[in-house]
Amino acid sequence: MKPLLLITKQGVYGSLQDKGRYGYRAFGIPLSGPMDKVSFQAAQLILQNHHDQTSFEMFVGGFEFEALADGIYVLTGGQGVCLVNNAPIEMWKTFHLTKGDRLMVKSMNQGSIVYLTPLGGFYSKCELGSSSCLPLGHLGTVITKGSILYGQAASPLKFNRGLYAPYRPTFDSAITIRIFKGPHFHLFTEESQQQFLQNPFQFSGGNRMGYYLKGPVLQLQEMKEILSEATQFGSIQVPQNGNPIILMADAQTVGGYPIIATVHEDDLHKVAQMRMFNTIHFALEDM
Amino acid sequence: MPAIIEFPHSMWISQHTIRFAFHEEISHTNFYAVQAFNRFLKKQLRHNLVESVASYHTVTAYIKQQINVDLLKRQWLEIQAATTNSERTNRLLKIPVCYDEEFALDRQRVMDYTGLSFEDMKMLHMSKSYYVYLIGFLPGFPYLGELDSKLFVPRLEKPRTSVSASSVGVGGGQTGIYPVDSPGGWNIIGKTPFELFDLNGKEPFLFELGDEVQFYEITKQQFWEMKSKGV
Repeated sequence: MKPLLLITKQGVYGSLQDKGRYGYRAFGIPLSGPMDKVSFQAAQLILQNHHDQTSFEMFVGGFEFEALADGIYVLTGGQGVCLVNNAPIEMWKTFHLTKGDRLMVKSMNQGSIVYLTPLGGFYSKCELGSSSCLPLGHLGTVITKGSILYGQAASPLKFNRGLYAPYRPTFDSAITIRIFKGPHFHLFTEESQQQFLQNPFQFSGGNRMGYYLKGPVLQLQEMKEILSEATQFGSIQVPQNGNPIILMADAQTVGGYPIIATVHEDDLHKVAQMRMFNTIHFALEDM
Repeated sequence: MPAIIEFPHSMWISQHTIRFAFHEEISHTNFYAVQAFNRFLKKQLRHNLVESVASYHTVTAYIKQQINVDLLKRQWLEIQAATTNSERTNRLLKIPVCYDEEFALDRQRVMDYTGLSFEDMKMLHMSKSYYVYLIGFLPGFPYLGELDSKLFVPRLEKPRTSVSASSVGVGGGQTGIYPVDSPGGWNIIGKTPFELFDLNGKEPFLFELGDEVQFYEITKQQFWEMKSKGV
């Protein structure tokens, strides 16, 4: 393990993530792992890392790093404005940092999350089978301004590698997301069911635990408390105020709000990359 | 206890998640059915099962590849027919609790709501066995049911910004213990010297779904003694 980068400026939120903490949901430990799995996996593939290596996930903007050693990296995710010593660099392609270089991930043109991954992945203490950070459970290492990101030994890349532009995911400001009916769909009024499937909802904020949406207020046929049960990354819960919440990677493992629907697993990365005022439409799929 | 447990209602939640639901109620019959079905799933699905989460009336299975529910149903019914009502004995955990004023932050509120003296409240809290019906909300937080209805106190209208780890609380029909320092709205009536979530221990979690739990009272002196021994 060797020091690679010093965080000289902290953006909205940054955390180290590997593929997630599987096997502990029955003990109330959230899955964690990358919010945008597609961009995360692409980074490991580009660098020929093991698929479970650790990336630094950033809710942009305004992250700055100082290189403490020479290293090879790739940036993936939403379309961000990324600079090395103030000169723009391309995402989805490996690049080299020399000791003393300054890397900035400044703002986003599209999407909200960017992954920074070094060759070999970052080093982070493995707890309960994962290096992903879960502040609530005191698991993993919390990264803030002044933190150092460490690297792991890796065999060098022979060539620069990258993903051709047509294969890179794009993140639009209006998305349509496939969903499946949730266990409590039928408890909503017919009007609410229709509105949920026909009207757009607007992203009104969120974090790694949940994304809040605004749109038609969704109502149950009768005020009824449901029993808590398992939830997952992608469960769409509706609390009393009628505004849906999409549970994200760090969400609690069980919940007591009615679940109107669940996001198709292959569309989760699009949800994750939503930003303020983006709109989302739900398209019902049959299982 | 019914001799044969019906196959639960199944529903695909997403491509790799299937939910099995019994009747929607908190009951010992359900608890028994859920535990039995969860064990059955672990055995039948083996490596295809990533993990499962059981609740009061559901078992949600996170799997690698889609499964044949009809086959699962046949296997369940065969096993049900062959077994002679042998309820597996659960692990019994005896948990010491110090109900001293220093820890029982909501002592007055609980007395006001229930009309009980604190002495009676303690006795009722210790008078029965509870079962871990659900774990969640926080890492390792056990929802223990069912609480004596005389002890029902609604959760705080305004949750505390911080409840210290190992605090014992009551909320609605359940009692529970905070595994980590966190905000929370349960009525705090005591504290255990035990740690519920300890990454340095051999077993990181004290409780497991299905455990039987009994509380017994300790003095403040015993509390600090046990705490310093790090049990």
